[in-house]
Amino acid sequence: MGGFQPEQSERDGFLPIRTNGFDRGFISVVILILVHLLWMRFLEGLLPLWVATVLCLALAVFIIRKG
Amino acid sequence: MRRSNIGWLFLAPATLILFVVGFIPFLYILYVGFFDWNSNAVDPTLRWAGLQNYRNLVFDATFLNSLARTLVFAFIVVVSELLLGYVLARALMADRLWGRQFFRTIHTLPIVVAPIAVGATWRLLCVPGFGIIPYYLKLWFGIDYNISTNAYHAFGTAIVMDLWHWTPFVTLSLMAGLTALPKEPLEQAQIDGGNKLQIFWYVIVPMLKPVLLTTVFIRLMDALRSVDEVWMLTKGGPAEATRFIGLHIWINVFPKTDYGYGAAMSLLTLYVTIVLSWLLFVAMTGRKGGAQ
Repeated sequence: MGGFQPEQSERDGFLPIRTNGFDRGFISVVILILVHLLWMRFLEGLLPLWVATVLCLALAVFIIRKG
Repeated sequence: MRRSNIGWLFLAPATLILFVVGFIPFLYILYVGFFDWNSNAVDPTLRWAGLQNYRNLVFDATFLNSLARTLVFAFIVVVSELLLGYVLARALMADRLWGRQFFRTIHTLPIVVAPIAVGATWRLLCVPGFGIIPYYLKLWFGIDYNISTNAYHAFGTAIVMDLWHWTPFVTLSLMAGLTALPKEPLEQAQIDGGNKLQIFWYVIVPMLKPVLLTTVFIRLMDALRSVDEVWMLTKGGPAEATRFIGLHIWINVFPKTDYGYGAAMSLLTLYVTIVLSWLLFVAMTGRKGGAQ
């Protein structure tokens, strides 16, 4: 059960779980892929895909720094 | 030699094998996913397609239905196997069970049968006019059971077949976990007046969490990539009632030789599997933060 002890690098941010650096990077990549897929399905006719990329990268920086 | 270097030296062979058989194929799939590549097409060479395969995927109703069907299948089988596996584990650990070793051995046998043989056997059991399952269902309950024409029968049979094949694995894992539990907290809970349900929920489940988590991960990942058993049982039919995502990818990659699109589908399935596993891990380990 020792594997589930919180690590030293974990911290509380605005995310609803305690995260370490890897978690925040992982969450950013998951959101990036999800947003791109949804964008291609519903929004690409209105706005180009690079808008999603810029938004997701900005969100990734925010998550990694403040999450 | 320094202690950390010795550690790396011991890890090196396993890391190298994982890199060669896991990471390099992953990179190759990632690469192929950006190309239009069909060896049976007029132009069988790789042609750059960018995100077109993924763009096609999000509009592909067959793929999305397959994915949804697979998620329903995985949810039903994992939950059922966990409940059934726990009940069987407790039953096979009971002191008063006569012939306990014999039943443990018999119960474990389905795990060693190859999935392709399991599918073939269940197909023989279910063939209308030949198999014993349709025969007795008609004789005892008047049910016209036919996995070749009825989508619900086919889907239900795929679930029962998976339960038959993999519940013993869950039972074995939980038996190992239950056997290793310390006796003191259970005795303490009994002395404190906890009833069976309270002891189960507040003592056994938290202590069993690592085993439960590992078992659920293994079964979830297996259920999401069910191919050979279902292929032997129904070939994905009737219509597309049992065309799970693994089978759908296989049909696109091998008979249709659409490698680029197959690679994109594989990656999206991997994405879904990783996200589900991670969400499950977070939920089961209760990593709550200050924002809650």
